[in-house]
Amino acid sequence: MTLNGWLQIFFFFALILLVTKPLGLFMTRVFNGERTFLDPVLRPIERLIYTLTRVDAGKEMRWTEYAVAMLLFSAVSMLVLYLLQRTQGVLPFNPQHLPGVDSAGSTGSSFNTASSFTTNTNWQSYVPEVTMSYLTQMAGLAYHNFMSAATGIALAIAFIRGIARRETQTIGNFWVDLTRATLWVLLPFCLVGSLVLVSQGVVQNLRPYDSAQMVDAPSTQLIAQGPVASQEFIKQWGTNGGGFFNANSAHPFENPTPLTNLIALFSIFAISAGLTYTLGRMTGSQKHGWAVWSAMAVLCLAGVLVAYASEARGNPLLTGTDQTGGNMEGKEVRFGIANSALFATVTTDASCGAVNAMHDSFTPLGGMIPLANIMLSEVVFGGVGAGLYGVLIFIVLSVFIAGLMVGRTPEYLGKKIESYDVKMAMLVVLVFPLTILLLTAISAVSPSFGTSQLNNPGPHGLSEMLYAFTSGTGNNGSAFAGISANTLWYNTTIGMAMLVGRFMMIIPMLAIAGNLVRKKIVPPSLGTFPVTTPLFSTLLVSVIVIVGALTFFPVLSLGPIVEELMF
Amino acid sequence: MLDVVFITATIGFFVIALAYVYACEKLRGGRDER
Repeated sequence: MTLNGWLQIFFFFALILLVTKPLGLFMTRVFNGERTFLDPVLRPIERLIYTLTRVDAGKEMRWTEYAVAMLLFSAVSMLVLYLLQRTQGVLPFNPQHLPGVDSAGSTGSSFNTASSFTTNTNWQSYVPEVTMSYLTQMAGLAYHNFMSAATGIALAIAFIRGIARRETQTIGNFWVDLTRATLWVLLPFCLVGSLVLVSQGVVQNLRPYDSAQMVDAPSTQLIAQGPVASQEFIKQWGTNGGGFFNANSAHPFENPTPLTNLIALFSIFAISAGLTYTLGRMTGSQKHGWAVWSAMAVLCLAGVLVAYASEARGNPLLTGTDQTGGNMEGKEVRFGIANSALFATVTTDASCGAVNAMHDSFTPLGGMIPLANIMLSEVVFGGVGAGLYGVLIFIVLSVFIAGLMVGRTPEYLGKKIESYDVKMAMLVVLVFPLTILLLTAISAVSPSFGTSQLNNPGPHGLSEMLYAFTSGTGNNGSAFAGISANTLWYNTTIGMAMLVGRFMMIIPMLAIAGNLVRKKIVPPSLGTFPVTTPLFSTLLVSVIVIVGALTFFPVLSLGPIVEELMF
Repeated sequence: MLDVVFITATIGFFVIALAYVYACEKLRGGRDER
């Protein structure tokens, strides 16, 4: 590890700290319907959208209505993306004349991708530049980059309202929240961000691919390009992660310079960090928002420390060789060890999934950090919206455990946490490991369709399989690589895992919000566990780590931990 | 053929999810205001 590396890491954290309050305040104003500097431009557009779609912006929804609207919207969007992929061969904006995705109809790739982008996962079992037409990239994938992110933000805001409001029935209007998240929080920033990326060399065009004569061979190389910048910024800003190119953020057309790398890192965390401030603001307890922020920052720093130390140490199998630069296998020279380790940690703390280095080539412990981050349910800042409502579930469990310790009914910001809330929280917590471990176990004992697709035997092979299902269920989307997942088994099971990991966790979460919103506010007493102190942050970190560790420690022992011990 | 399977599976999943919403609300039992 170097001083320079740590300075870059702390500079990144300082940027996130600086953006938390202004962005959090901005989002509070947007979702409270208050005036913002973008209103003169966006308010007429918002009104036009409601008129065209016949949305009554004044109508508030109960949690069940909110959930049904979100599910129907997602179902229709997913089916449209599926059909768009299958028919792209006869549709315009296809200069490479690519056929419909999975034209042979045998791998289930279209289903996997439709599920992947609808759920904000952006797992890619295909090679984008030789699979997706420009129309599919722009009207299908980029559309979902915006909509799945906006849905996540809307859900987080709905949950916050569940905590903040008292003795009422409703948690907002899904269509209004979705529209405001898209118009105010996503589009303007993406417009500016994309132009900045273009200035740095990220390509943006609709031309056919160029062909270049190779210098050292009598052959040509096809240089893929397209509308990259417009998808690149939302890829990070919306914690989507799906790359325009197969190499994702390691590709020089997606992430050409150290500055674009910093922009990527910043944009992955910005909204999620801001939402902690929004939480504090809307619930009237700003200190609580910062306590949550602190817990997240501690977990993130711990992950960066382990990943950076492991990668800087180099590959133990290459002892005796010059590894002063650390373990550079699978990493880009223009980013180096520090920015690769930081990127791997940040992209899996959030549910982003963009990668600027190949996680499969990390050392066992370095590679375990991205895996473990996803296993903690990506609540360390987390995906846009998803991170906040995920951590709120852990907060419910934390105050429940604190209540058990002191023998009082647990309270959270004045709301009593009762059996229904804890039951729903446990449904959220349990569906995640159940899906991952069950599908990994089936694959691990199935040579014909499971282990046959692995590129490595032994513990590393198990890590590859485990990572695929963890990434899918956790809606992360990053790939460990080393597994050929574009098969009917993996496309179908990971596709279903992504749906379960998104919607079967959202529904009980919204149920908690719908239950909390009905409750009275109880004045704090001596027995109330304060949620604004370092003790609360410590308890929250402990609950997150213990739940993750207890659930996944056995399987991690068989994968990266035993691999580390084999060195 | 697989198209039919996947479209049916997608619709089937969301129907189950809608039923899950109903089940979670049913479990709450209509209790209000504590």
